[in-house]
Amino acid sequence: MIKRRLFKLLALLFAFALIAAACGDSSGSDDNAGGDSTTTTTEASSGGGDESTTTTAAPPETTETTAGEAMSSGGTLIWAHEQEPPDLHLSDPNNNLTITAWILQPLLEDLYGVDSTTSYYPELLAEEGVLTTNDDGSVTVDFKLRDGLMWSDGVPFTSEDVKFTYDTIMETDGEDEDGNPNYILSVSDRTGLDTITDFTVKSDTEFSVTWSDFFAGWKGVFGNILPAHALPGGAAEAEEALRDWTNAAGDILPSTGPMVFDSWEKGVSLKMVRNENYHGSHSPDAVNTGLAYVDGVTINFVPDTDAQINALKAGEADMIMTQPQLQFGERLSSDNQFTVASTAGPVFEHWGLNLLNVHLADPLVREALAYSLDKSEVMAGLYTPLFGDLLPAEGLGNTYWMSNQPAYVDHQTEWAGAQVDAAKTKLEEAGYTMGDDGFYTHPERGKLTLRVGTTGGNALRELQQQIIQEQMKKAGIEIVIDNVPGGAYFGEKPFSDEALAASASGGAEGDPTIWDITQFAWVGGPWPGGQSGAYKSDSGFAPYGFVNAEFDARSDECDATVDDATRADCYNELDTYVTTLQHGDDGLFMLPLTQKPSYYAYNSERLVSAGVAPDANLGGPLSNVYDFQFAG
Amino acid sequence: MFAYAARRLMATIPLLILASFLIFWTVNEIGDPRDKLAACATCDQSAYDRLVDLYELDKPVVIRWGSWLGNIAFHGDMGTALSQGEDPVKPIVITRTKNTAMIAIPAFLTIVILAVALSVYSAIRQYSLSDYTITALSFAGIALPTFVLGLFLQVLWGIWIQDWLGIKPFYVTGKHTASFGDLVSSIVLPVITLSAVFIGAESRFGRSAMLEIINADYIRTARAKGLPERRVIFKHALRNALIPFITIWALDFAALLGGSVITESIFSWPGLGPIFLTAITGQDIHLIMGIVLVVSMMAIGFNLIADLLYGVFDPRIRYD
Repeated sequence: MIKRRLFKLLALLFAFALIAAACGDSSGSDDNAGGDSTTTTTEASSGGGDESTTTTAAPPETTETTAGEAMSSGGTLIWAHEQEPPDLHLSDPNNNLTITAWILQPLLEDLYGVDSTTSYYPELLAEEGVLTTNDDGSVTVDFKLRDGLMWSDGVPFTSEDVKFTYDTIMETDGEDEDGNPNYILSVSDRTGLDTITDFTVKSDTEFSVTWSDFFAGWKGVFGNILPAHALPGGAAEAEEALRDWTNAAGDILPSTGPMVFDSWEKGVSLKMVRNENYHGSHSPDAVNTGLAYVDGVTINFVPDTDAQINALKAGEADMIMTQPQLQFGERLSSDNQFTVASTAGPVFEHWGLNLLNVHLADPLVREALAYSLDKSEVMAGLYTPLFGDLLPAEGLGNTYWMSNQPAYVDHQTEWAGAQVDAAKTKLEEAGYTMGDDGFYTHPERGKLTLRVGTTGGNALRELQQQIIQEQMKKAGIEIVIDNVPGGAYFGEKPFSDEALAASASGGAEGDPTIWDITQFAWVGGPWPGGQSGAYKSDSGFAPYGFVNAEFDARSDECDATVDDATRADCYNELDTYVTTLQHGDDGLFMLPLTQKPSYYAYNSERLVSAGVAPDANLGGPLSNVYDFQFAG
Repeated sequence: MFAYAARRLMATIPLLILASFLIFWTVNEIGDPRDKLAACATCDQSAYDRLVDLYELDKPVVIRWGSWLGNIAFHGDMGTALSQGEDPVKPIVITRTKNTAMIAIPAFLTIVILAVALSVYSAIRQYSLSDYTITALSFAGIALPTFVLGLFLQVLWGIWIQDWLGIKPFYVTGKHTASFGDLVSSIVLPVITLSAVFIGAESRFGRSAMLEIINADYIRTARAKGLPERRVIFKHALRNALIPFITIWALDFAALLGGSVITESIFSWPGLGPIFLTAITGQDIHLIMGIVLVVSMMAIGFNLIADLLYGVFDPRIRYD
C-alpha cells in the first residue's frame, strides 16, 4: 500500500513538473531572455557601427617607476559597490542615480569635465568656448573640439555628435493636451538646452551654439555626448539603447571615455574594458594622460557594506567606495595593505524652515534655532572621528558653494557653536516664556514645538536629527522627528501641491501647516545657480514661503553675469539672503549642516597608483580610472 | 489522491486571487511611484505621464489590480519592473528564483539530513556528552543572528583562512560561474548560513519527537520481540518521528525559495531577497506583485506536497 501511495505521489509530482515546465518562460531555454540576467556578452567588442573592432587585452608590460617600484599595465580593477542601477539611462528621472553617473563617467565624456575642486575644465574641447554677446541680447559660444578625437569603435568624433545629442534630447512627437512638447527621450533636466535658438556645425571640430539669453550653466549643458553613428533611430532608439547600452542593431554603444561597456549580469556585476582609441584626459587631476593602465573594470554589486570590506580583505575586490562608517576606520585604516582615503563630497544635508509656520515666521525664533544648533557637535558625532579635518569641523555654512570650492564662504559663523543662552535670550525677546516641561511657550503661538521630517530609513539623517533634537532641547525648543517611511516624504510634505501653493501665495492658498522643518540633501556643483529655484518665488518649486522680489531680481542678475568670478561672488550674495538676516527679516530659513564625505579604500599592495579625488565632483571613483595601476 | 490534490489546487485559486488583491491594495496604499519625482524641480510633465501610463495610476486600484491579474491570466505578462530598467517582470522572477534555488535546495538538503541525523543521535544518547554538545550547538545556531554568522564566515574563510595549500576554498561575495568548482565555492558559505538556524531549531524539535516515540509502548514491544535496535530506530521510531517534520520542511522549503534578504545580501547572491527589497524601496508594484505571487504559489504548493506526504508515511491517513 505504501509503495502504491509513493508511486502515486511521484506521478503527481511528475505531473506538476510537466505543468510547471509548460507554464515556464516561452522563450525556451534562454535563461537570459530580456530579463533580469541580461548578460550582454561582447567579447570585448567596442562595436557600434559597421566598423566594430575587437579589442583584445594588451599584454601586461612591466615598467619601473622613478622610485624603482614595479608597475604593470594590465589587470582588471574590481570595485565592490552596494548600489546597482536599474539601467544606464542616467537622464531618465526614474533613474538619475549617483551610481549610474559613476558608471557612465569613464564611458562618455563631456565637452567640459569637472575636476577635484568642482570646477570646469575643457575635456573634449581644445580650448575654452569663446562667448559673444549679440546685439539682440542673445549669446553665442564658439566651440572647438580637440583634434583626432575618436569613438572607441574607430569612428571619428565630430561636431555632428554634439548636435545629434542636442537634437535627440529636444526631439518631440508633437504636443500634449496642454500644448507642452511631448519629448521622446526621458530627460529630467533640459535647463539651458531649451533656450538654445541656434546650433550651427561649422566643421568636424568647430560649432557654435546660440542661447536666447545668457545661461550661466552653459558649460555643463553638453554632457554625455551620444554617438550619432550608433543611434540612427534618433531619440526613440536612444531611449531604449541607453538602458542596456545596446542599440537597435544589437551593438554595444561606443565610448569616448577611457573604458568601453562590455557586459552586465544584473544582480552580479557590470564589466568594462579599456578603450584602445582613447584620446587621453585633459583633467588637471590626471597623472596618466594616455590610455588607461588597467585592461578593464568590473563592478561587483555587493549590497552589504560589511561584506564589501570583507571582499576587499579577502582579495575579491581591489577597491570599495561606500557610505561613511566606523568599520572603515576600525578595520582598514590600521592595515598597511590598504589605503583609506576620503574627499569632501558634493552632497550636503540641510534643514529648511517653513516661514509660514507660526513660530518660524518670527526671525527671533529662527535665530534661536541657529544659536542652539551646534554643527561642530554634529560633525563630531558623525564624521570627525573618521575624517579629521578634511571637512569643516564647524559644519557647512553655505548652500551655493561647498567647502572644497574656491568661492566657498561660511555665512553662518555668527551662530557657530552651542550658544544656548543666546538662543534663550532671542526666544524671550520674542515673548516666549519657559514652561514647566522645559520648553518655551508663547501666549498666542503656544508651545514651541516643531516637526522635522525627511525620508525615513536613512540612518545617518536620523542620527543627525537626534543629535540636533538634543541640542535644541537644551535651548527649550522641542523638536519632534516626523519622518515618512519610504520615498513618499517630499511628495506628501514640502513639495505637496498644497504646501507649494501655500508657499507661493504666502499662506493665502493651500495649506501652510503640512510641515515645519524639512531635512534633505542637495548636490553642489561647478554651477550652483540651480539652487535658486528652491528660493525664487516664481519657480513654482520653492517650498519655504520665501517671497522676496529683491532676491528674485538679484538671482536673475547673477545668472546673467558673464564673468565667472563676479558670478561666483553674486551667488555668495544670494546665499546671504537665505542663510543670514542681512537682507531682511525673511532670511535665515536655511541651515546648511554637513557636507557628506566620500570615503574609499583600495588594496595598496596590489594597486600602486589610484585615481585621486574620486568623488569631489560626483564623478565617482572611476573619474580618473586611467590612473589606476597594478603592481607588477 | 489525485482527486484530493486537484481539489486542493482548485481551492488555492481563490486564495491566491484574494491574497494578490490584498497585497496590491497594500502596496498601493504605501506610496505612489510618482512621489520619488516630487523633489525633481526640473522634471517635466512627460516624466509623470510615463509613470501614469506604466502603472495606470489614473485608474482606481481595483481596475489596476484587475488589469494586472488579467494580463497574467490571459497573456502570462507580469508587467514591467521600473526598478530594473523597465525589464519584464517574468524573466526577472524566473532568473532570480533559479538563483535562489541554487542555494535554497542545497540548504534544504543540508537541513533535512543534519536535522534528522542530529535528532536521532541526540535522542538515542540522551544526557550523554554528545547530546549536551549537540544541544549547545543547536542553541547557538538558533541564537546566532544570520548576519552575524554570515559575516563571521566571511571573515573566517575570506580573511583568516584565505586559502588551502594555495587554493581559495570559498568566495565570500558574489556568484561565480566560471566553472562548476567556482559555483560550489560560491554557494558553500550562504548555504551554511541559511541552514544553521533551521538545523538548530529542527534538531531540537526532532530530538523531542524521537524521545517521545522511543519511549512509546510499541517501541518497547518491538524491542521485546527482539528486533535489532537499528530496525527499531529507523523503521519504527524515525518513520513516525518524521511525520511532524514534513509540515516544517514544507514551510522551510517555501521560505528558503522565497529568498533570504539578509543572507543573499551579505553574500551578494542575486536571488529573490535583495531584489524584493529593491522593489519595495523603489515602489515597484509589478515586481513586488510578481515576487509575492511566485512565493505564495510555492508556499501553497509545498504545503500541498506535505499533505500528500503524510499519507506516504502514515497509512492511516486518508485523502477522502
